[in-house]
Amino acid sequence: MFSTASRTLEITVISGEDIRNKRKPVKKNVFAVIRTDSQPLCRTETDKDGGSYPYWNEKHNVDIPVHARFITVEVQCKTSVGDKTLGMATIPVSDFVGGFVPQSYLHFLSYRLRDSNGERNGIINVSVKAKVPEYAASSCSSATTIGVPFGKTSCYGGVVPGVPVGVPIMKQYYQG
Amino acid sequence: MAATTMPLTSSTGLGGSSNSSRKSSEFENETLPCRTAPNLCGCVACRGGSNRGSKDTALLSLAAFNLRDRDITSKSDPMAVVYAKKIDGKLDELGRTEVVLNSLNPTWIEKVTVAFQFEIMQPFVFHVYDIDTKYYNVPVKTLKLEDQDFLGEATCVLSEIVTKQSRSLTLNLHGKSGHTGLRNLGVLTIHAEELVASRSAVEITLRCSYLDNKDLFSKSDPFLRVSRIVESGGSIPICKTEVVNNNLNPTWKPLCLSMQQFGSKDNPLIIECFDFNSSGNHVLIGKLQKSVADLEKLHKGRSGANLILTSHHGHEKILKGQLFVDQFCEKEQYSFLDYISSGFELNFMVAIDFTASNGNPRNPDSLHYIDPSGRLNSYQKAIIDVGEVIQFYDSDKRFPAWGFGGRTSDGTISHCFNLNGNAGGFEVEGVEGIMTAYASALHNVALAGPTLFGQVINTAAQTAGQSLSYNSNKYFVLLIITDGVLTDLQETKDALVKASDLPLSILIVGVGGADFGQMEVLDADNGQRLESSTGRVATHDIVQFVSMRDVHGGRISVVQALLEELPGQFLTYMRRRDIKPRPLHVAQTSG
Repeated sequence: MFSTASRTLEITVISGEDIRNKRKPVKKNVFAVIRTDSQPLCRTETDKDGGSYPYWNEKHNVDIPVHARFITVEVQCKTSVGDKTLGMATIPVSDFVGGFVPQSYLHFLSYRLRDSNGERNGIINVSVKAKVPEYAASSCSSATTIGVPFGKTSCYGGVVPGVPVGVPIMKQYYQG
Repeated sequence: MAATTMPLTSSTGLGGSSNSSRKSSEFENETLPCRTAPNLCGCVACRGGSNRGSKDTALLSLAAFNLRDRDITSKSDPMAVVYAKKIDGKLDELGRTEVVLNSLNPTWIEKVTVAFQFEIMQPFVFHVYDIDTKYYNVPVKTLKLEDQDFLGEATCVLSEIVTKQSRSLTLNLHGKSGHTGLRNLGVLTIHAEELVASRSAVEITLRCSYLDNKDLFSKSDPFLRVSRIVESGGSIPICKTEVVNNNLNPTWKPLCLSMQQFGSKDNPLIIECFDFNSSGNHVLIGKLQKSVADLEKLHKGRSGANLILTSHHGHEKILKGQLFVDQFCEKEQYSFLDYISSGFELNFMVAIDFTASNGNPRNPDSLHYIDPSGRLNSYQKAIIDVGEVIQFYDSDKRFPAWGFGGRTSDGTISHCFNLNGNAGGFEVEGVEGIMTAYASALHNVALAGPTLFGQVINTAAQTAGQSLSYNSNKYFVLLIITDGVLTDLQETKDALVKASDLPLSILIVGVGGADFGQMEVLDADNGQRLESSTGRVATHDIVQFVSMRDVHGGRISVVQALLEELPGQFLTYMRRRDIKPRPLHVAQTSG
């Protein structure tokens, strides 16, 4: 029922290292696209002169669904025949959410990129910081109020059977 | 002292990108400049500058109070002498103060310069003398100390002073070693201030265009070398860029030059552009001479400067190739001591190998054998050597201590058990506490196996991670002492990669005669960043490995080799996150 609830991340796509196209170092025009559930979240500018060591250092605020387990980074290259994906990395959300560090810790993360054949292709460097909303700091009950209004009509039919029957408050909802 | 200053100078000073900083400055002797720099990100901090931070020099000021009066008609005329105590116990004189006339509470003006070295203990001995009136016109350097009246001596290690937020330490003076006596000889106060010419540094991004092609079948592989012209006329290389392959219009990663490296903004620098050759015979493409101030002008004017090539006849040819400064920014760089003296701490943790390959501890040829004569085994030696250096940077001196690979009293094999046998807490008191816990664990824990570091690393990472909720001024150092070969290298790599973004460094000491080849893999000194099984790559190198065997008998102690990179790893973490030392007045009021 909280499928529409989201968390906000501050992602900085910093740089790439040793990015290759068919084993040769890329000359220029490399950019990165970040997605979750195949939905694009953001893309960087095209790096004109960094060659196979592109440097963007671009900060983006993105929202990802709370249930999302991964985000992906695709490194692509602009060519005369269109954009070509050179490498991809999958970033588990657990690498920057949860764990022992404070919720809003700035994580500097690096990942191995792999091309469509699974071959190693360079490294992508990002930093990720989860934006901690005010309500999370105060209490968790207020967090649920964010989700409820959206799910009110569509979800209750699915949820109620799991709830003990005969709770007066539920009855009220049905009648209403 | 003289013997131990050498590694410091060779590893600092020169060095541009963090990778090349370890190597000697003359590239003819080395394999190649970094092609795959292990610099994580574009952020200023981890890209540039000498990774070791600056070479820290401290100035000691001395004052005494309530000295003994040795003169009959007047008061004493004191002078202080500073010595470094060498490993063999000999004293090496570092400097003398002036003579203050007729005073029992002198504050000396003359300061004594000492080099701060994190990786070794630096014991100092201070002697105070009453200088006889007949020597008044003799320069203090030539005074024969045995002719003077001895007023007292005091001893401390340099870290004790620099970790104090006031940077001052007061010691009781006592008689010459051997007879202490009951008489009050007064006190000596030592104040250390860091001698930093300047914390300023510039970060510049250089680019060239239309370079000459020096390669036959492809384009040049250019890199830049920056040298400073010194007064004597020669030049000293201060840093170089990475190699950009097959490119006549290269842009290099930003270079960070500290004031210590470039001298002053007007000091001329030579910038040479070479075509990289794996044979080491790099071909000069062209060069030019510019000061930092000139480079700033080029940046402001967005203009290029032409490279010049001098022919065999001494004829200067102006080339078509130009140098541009795409980015120029000045910034401040704090040193390790800046952080330490403003209240940042190193928290020490230890993990000890209890696998069966060490041999039965009751057997004298076991690595865990505790010699009744008091001779330390390798584990004890490593604990003491590392612990006694780091303890000064840990204010509460409560050290987490674990064992791994042993069968604990409840019969199960544990890969991370509390060394003190106490289920409630893993902390022990001081280095002495580690030694006691280690000895008792040898009685209570049976050696078993396999050798797995993962749990110990994860527990240390958890401790480091949790501390961030309360403090941002703690950095953790885990010492793992092991005899052996890891059973699961990937498990350790995964744990290390996961921990690589925390305020944590891991020191591994290998004891015994095993093949430690895989440890060298963990210590990413070859420039290969560790990679986990899920494809995450270590944020930066947090591991330092050393084998007791390799450095045994050498002039560099195990500890020195082990601790050398620690200040650099500390600075990498702090600079990347833009964590600055707290202003001194804030630190003082809170302390």
